[in-house]
Amino acid sequence: MGLINFLAYLAIMMGIYGILSLSLNLQYGFTGLANFGQVAFFCLGAYISTIIVLVFKMPFIFGLLGGMIVAGFFGYVISIITANLKEDYWAIVTLAAAEIVRIFFLNEDWVVGGGPYQGGSFGIGGIPQPLRSLFSAYTYPFFYLAIVLVCLLATYIVINTLTQSPFGKVIKSIREGDNLPLALGKDVKRFRMKVMAIGGSFGGLAGCLWAHYHGFVSPNQFLPLETFIIWAMVIVGGKANNKGAILGAVIIMIFYNSTRFLKDYIPIEEVTLASLRMVAIGVLIVVAMLFMKEGLIKEKKTIY
Amino acid sequence: MTVTQVVINSIVRASELTLLSLGLTIVYDILKFANFAHTEFAVVGVYLALFLNVTLGLHIILAAIIASFVTGGFSILIDRAVFKKMRSSSGIIIMVTSLGLAIALRNTIRAIWGADAQNYAVPLQTPIITEYFRITPLQIWIIVIGLSAMFAFHLLLHHTKLGKAMRATSDNPELAQASGIATEKIITRVWFIAITFASIGGILIGLETYILPYMGFAIIVPVFCATIMGGIGNPYGAMIGALVLGFAENFGLYINFEKIINLGGILNFSKELFIPTGYKPAISFIILILVLLIRPRGILGKKKEG
Amino acid sequence: MLKVEKVYKSFGGILALNGVSFSVESNTITGLIGPNGSGKSTLFNIISGFYSKDKGEIYFNGKKIVGLESHKIAMLGIGRTFQISEVPEKMTVLENLLLAPKRQIGEGIFNVFLYPLKIKQENEQHLKKAYEILELVQLYNLRNEYAGNLSGGQKKLLSLGRILMSEPMLILLDEPTAGVNPILIKDLIIAIKNLRDKKGDTILLVEHNMKVISEICDKVIVLDFGKKIAEGRPEEIQKNENVLEAYLSGSSKSDVIHEDS
Repeated sequence: MGLINFLAYLAIMMGIYGILSLSLNLQYGFTGLANFGQVAFFCLGAYISTIIVLVFKMPFIFGLLGGMIVAGFFGYVISIITANLKEDYWAIVTLAAAEIVRIFFLNEDWVVGGGPYQGGSFGIGGIPQPLRSLFSAYTYPFFYLAIVLVCLLATYIVINTLTQSPFGKVIKSIREGDNLPLALGKDVKRFRMKVMAIGGSFGGLAGCLWAHYHGFVSPNQFLPLETFIIWAMVIVGGKANNKGAILGAVIIMIFYNSTRFLKDYIPIEEVTLASLRMVAIGVLIVVAMLFMKEGLIKEKKTIY
Repeated sequence: MTVTQVVINSIVRASELTLLSLGLTIVYDILKFANFAHTEFAVVGVYLALFLNVTLGLHIILAAIIASFVTGGFSILIDRAVFKKMRSSSGIIIMVTSLGLAIALRNTIRAIWGADAQNYAVPLQTPIITEYFRITPLQIWIIVIGLSAMFAFHLLLHHTKLGKAMRATSDNPELAQASGIATEKIITRVWFIAITFASIGGILIGLETYILPYMGFAIIVPVFCATIMGGIGNPYGAMIGALVLGFAENFGLYINFEKIINLGGILNFSKELFIPTGYKPAISFIILILVLLIRPRGILGKKKEG
Repeated sequence: MLKVEKVYKSFGGILALNGVSFSVESNTITGLIGPNGSGKSTLFNIISGFYSKDKGEIYFNGKKIVGLESHKIAMLGIGRTFQISEVPEKMTVLENLLLAPKRQIGEGIFNVFLYPLKIKQENEQHLKKAYEILELVQLYNLRNEYAGNLSGGQKKLLSLGRILMSEPMLILLDEPTAGVNPILIKDLIIAIKNLRDKKGDTILLVEHNMKVISEICDKVIVLDFGKKIAEGRPEEIQKNENVLEAYLSGSSKSDVIHEDS
């Protein structure tokens, strides 16, 4: 890949992960919901939009909406099922739920009716890129980048507006305990459901954008590891700060992808390099939690 | 496959899980957080034993013992370096930290040893085969070790000073601290015991199947499930949880649901209806979710005041 | 306004409330006192819906409220403070107050985008009211401080301020003067009295400070070991033998008389 093309690709990934990061930040940073299953939304968005476009032969935009709706609904359902769990159990359940989603897609190849689309552990290929025919191979990435940036901006605006509104105040109060908001008459369970539905649908948005650029989805792309990379973004960039969430995505993506070129200069195998990258992410999370758990951009104080 | 065989498989699996969940439950209880790096510590032990056994040529039993103790010590270092600074942090923060630690440990192992499956240098096992089942000497050993570990743990809890202190700290942390039971010392010892046991469990799994860098992650949900099902902080609960899960996983695949549905006269399937083997990992996930929804304190757990 | 009828509650074998019955009349200040462990907090938690009862009924303006979830009870008009102040530490004092009003338009996720102007207006109204309340509890200068940075006494004042913002009909105050400096207590007493006189609110408060009790309460109810042992005007209660007995034989003697906090 040429350098410019690579940069476009990197920017697209930053945008997609920026959306995922904003979504997780809404759940964890603002509402205190430690979602260890964020990848489930990513996965659902990717698969559902793929199925809508490939199997039902509908246009990209319906795939997008369908992915968002299903992922959002999944978030909603999870929050209902887990309404009464305390926080560490809640986190474990979300991890388990995400794995069940992945295992489902791993096993069920009937979802795409087998045949030319395969499915199951083989994944699904041949996902058409939207409006591809209008552009050359060189310019298409920039068009797609534009789509991603628009989505990122929309996500930022929606989430930021919500967190700065009275709704945002309620969820921030929930973050530190249910008692106070309940005593003030806020229906805590319903607020959590809404947060999960919103967070879920944006996660699904990211999944859809991802699937339609790569052209291929498989269960291996949605391992719990993904969730933790997104966590690293939220922690490093800034908990409960929307700009921080995007910054975190940018930083982690740069880091993650810059090491790709190392192997041209240093004689390391691909597998080892991939592992070392992950070691660094893990260490980064530990160090951030120890010394910098507010992240690079701290939560903004609202001043009147 | 006969029922006897499934029972044997269940007991073997339960023995392995017990060693891992015992450690998880005591750490969870004393430090009040879910240690996502627990099974990764076990994998550290597995690979250390691999190094001693295959690279250095030590006998597997010696390698296992040394590796387990070293890993136990290693966990104390990690506690000092990382978790000690977080004693007063919220559970989620420590949990996320342990996640980061898990990622770091797992991938360090992968970087050093590669992603391919490996095996210990042990002579080939000749299974005992009867009409109804087959079992290898290793599997018998696993059951024996599992039982011994449970017994040893019981002795520890009820016949040693440490055990008494552990129980006191578990029941009432503030009172324990106030009455001079040195909590930090207990924490150190709890880590050591927990992770040593966990390493042994991991090594047994590695002996029975194979060794992979991601084996820790493959086990973590079943171990969490067994621990939570039994009730956090209750070692006997952990043992029961491991047993239940071992049986659930194996019988879950064995049972032909077609017969059950047909018995009810609801439908008339002509095909067999088994849970596909691909879903075996999902069994523990689903049970975990069910346990947490229906009875979060577990079978033997303490009830929280209203 | 509030009628508690034969309420029982036990925790794992310990009977915390043993058939307590009393009523709180509208537009009065009623004190709830008793030695530690007599069941006062338990009672508060049951009335406000945070605990469930074993037996008995509670009526609020004639309506049965037992069994309702805590947020629904709050919406019916019962506001409460907590013994250990529940203060979201990462929200400022002002944010805490702005959180309190019920049924804000801006709490709906679609409303946020559909009615931005109305929300802004509502916010401005609330801000004005918040400033007034902050003046009252003397926290105006700290309005943009994180609530977590306040002292214990200041957090209590914040809790009171928050309650005022949410405009309840019945206010349950859990030890409102504990940890507050004496000068401020005088202002607090005036504020609480004003709530009854100027706003027509009804107040039920748990207190250990007998001076406060005798100064503001119209009626006092005394609990001991989960049972009501006395009920009447503050002067009567102070002379009541059963009451003195309960305090002296039970827990801390320092509860009993004239605590100068």
